Amino acid sequence: MTAVHTTDAAVPTNSSSAPRRAAPDGAPRRRAGAFDRALPYLLLAPAVVAILWMIGWPVLSVVVTSFRKLNLRELTRGEVVWTGLDNYVEILGDPAFWGIAARTVVFTALVVAVSVLAGLLIALLMRQISPFVRIVLQVAMLLAWAMPLLAATTVYQWIFDQQYGILNKTLVKIGFDSFTGYSWFSTGTSTLAVIGLLIVWQAVPFLAFSLYAGAIGIPKDQYEAAGIDGASGWQTFRAVTWPELRPLLLMVTFLSLLWDFKVFAQIWAMKKGGPDGGSTTLAVYQYLEGISKSHFGVAAAVSVVMVALLALLTFQYLRRLVRSQEGEL
Amino acid sequence: MIAKKISANVVALVVALFFAFPTYWMVSTALKPRKDLLSTGYDLVPFSVTGSNFATAWAKPGFLSALGNSLMVALGAVLAAIVVGLLAAVALSRMRFRGRKSFVMLMLVAQMAPFEALLIPMFLMMRDLDLLDRLPALALIYFAVTLPFCAWTLRGFVNGIPLELEEAAMVDGCGRWGAFRRVTLPLLGPGLVATSVFAFVTAWNEFLFALSLMKDQTKETLPVWLSGFQTNFGTDWGGAMAASALFTLPVLVFFLIVQRKMVTGVTAGAVKG
Repeated sequence: MTAVHTTDAAVPTNSSSAPRRAAPDGAPRRRAGAFDRALPYLLLAPAVVAILWMIGWPVLSVVVTSFRKLNLRELTRGEVVWTGLDNYVEILGDPAFWGIAARTVVFTALVVAVSVLAGLLIALLMRQISPFVRIVLQVAMLLAWAMPLLAATTVYQWIFDQQYGILNKTLVKIGFDSFTGYSWFSTGTSTLAVIGLLIVWQAVPFLAFSLYAGAIGIPKDQYEAAGIDGASGWQTFRAVTWPELRPLLLMVTFLSLLWDFKVFAQIWAMKKGGPDGGSTTLAVYQYLEGISKSHFGVAAAVSVVMVALLALLTFQYLRRLVRSQEGEL
Repeated sequence: MIAKKISANVVALVVALFFAFPTYWMVSTALKPRKDLLSTGYDLVPFSVTGSNFATAWAKPGFLSALGNSLMVALGAVLAAIVVGLLAAVALSRMRFRGRKSFVMLMLVAQMAPFEALLIPMFLMMRDLDLLDRLPALALIYFAVTLPFCAWTLRGFVNGIPLELEEAAMVDGCGRWGAFRRVTLPLLGPGLVATSVFAFVTAWNEFLFALSLMKDQTKETLPVWLSGFQTNFGTDWGGAMAASALFTLPVLVFFLIVQRKMVTGVTAGAVKG
């Protein structure tokens, strides 16, 4: 979960210059000064402690754990067994792992590409339509966005149900008789396609709303100028819309990568990574190794590889984001 | 030109249909009598309507306890994250002190922490704290997941409130706390609501940690309970859809509230010119 709107540059504020009443009991000013200086740190303390304890420590711990042999035996006995790189050798030497990693990367890339493209198209479409239709579209997207993941997964399972699902019924009705009792979950690829559709369906509203907000911010006169110059629709998009929306597009693509790479709930709830492991991604694999099989060391190594892959995918953007924020502070 | 406009509207309506259909289908299935569901007849609109599916879902073993667990965990986590996040946001936005930049950076980076990849250390940590199968474990994790987001977003909202307003209140004799409580806090209202809603939805949706840390069935949250609907409902799709609808309802209501509040803007009309 990441904030999307980066706010305007903070106005440098200097609280110590604000007029301040003297303490009523006439306490020495110096004490008030010390309190004032400590105040920001006191206000920040709970948040910083929580972040270091609940985020910072686990981050260290996952790396440390990945170098340990830690199965249920070691855990219950409280033994600490260091195995160096054994966990990594085990997973990286397993061809099945590479299959899962490749599947995760391809799946994420496809889902992100389709949802960002669809979000962009809908955002641009929203500028062309009448206000009433726009509200209808926005309400429809809000419904998809607001539905809890697990409710949505259950509904999709019902729509895609083999026997009584409305999709198969509709397909048969319009003449595709081969869909009578067709199973959408018989192969990993088709299971992932349904899950991908579900993820795109829930991701597009946020993307479309953000990009629409960006698109209506583009000054009208730029379009007028393009119109006077006789630019075609595509040329106007290339020359005006694209350069203005590019930063926002990069931002939402980055966020989508971050979110979609780690998807677990929908995949697990749909078919638990099946059939036959065919829809298992890295997040599912991590759960299977760690929680189902209690191979905590191996699972921690999977987590580390996951983060490394994600970092590899987003590194360039991350660097730019941090740098741009530094400039704004 | 008009033809283009009409076709754009038609396309938009088709897209709207695509997004709204699953919600419609959830509700209409939940309202259908059981015998209509397991038939091969084609009924996009229910022939007859019943409330019995909702009654079935409500009475299913585990539903009420899961609902209670979910509410408790999500509300507890969000309340804590908003309070702690607001304190940090005020410091980061209103005060100038050594190390401010690093703290802002910490919030930005912490938001991007891939929590799913911290499953194993969190599991081990909760085991050490003896919190496995106990709801506070989830509340604690959801608090940590939402805190950086809350702090970051609230900082943005505080930045949006002109400092001059607080200064004016102090000139009029308010203390710093009084100025904050009487001026900034009320203006922050919509921002607080919006931030809490998004944090709440995150906690309400969370599945991986709830599944991994709460093996005891009485500690299940709604997402985990619903994911096992096939054991709960079998092929009773009406009941499953009714349960999904009940699960969706609070989120939908919250989203509608935020939509309205967000439009009013954070400081609309507070400082003219």
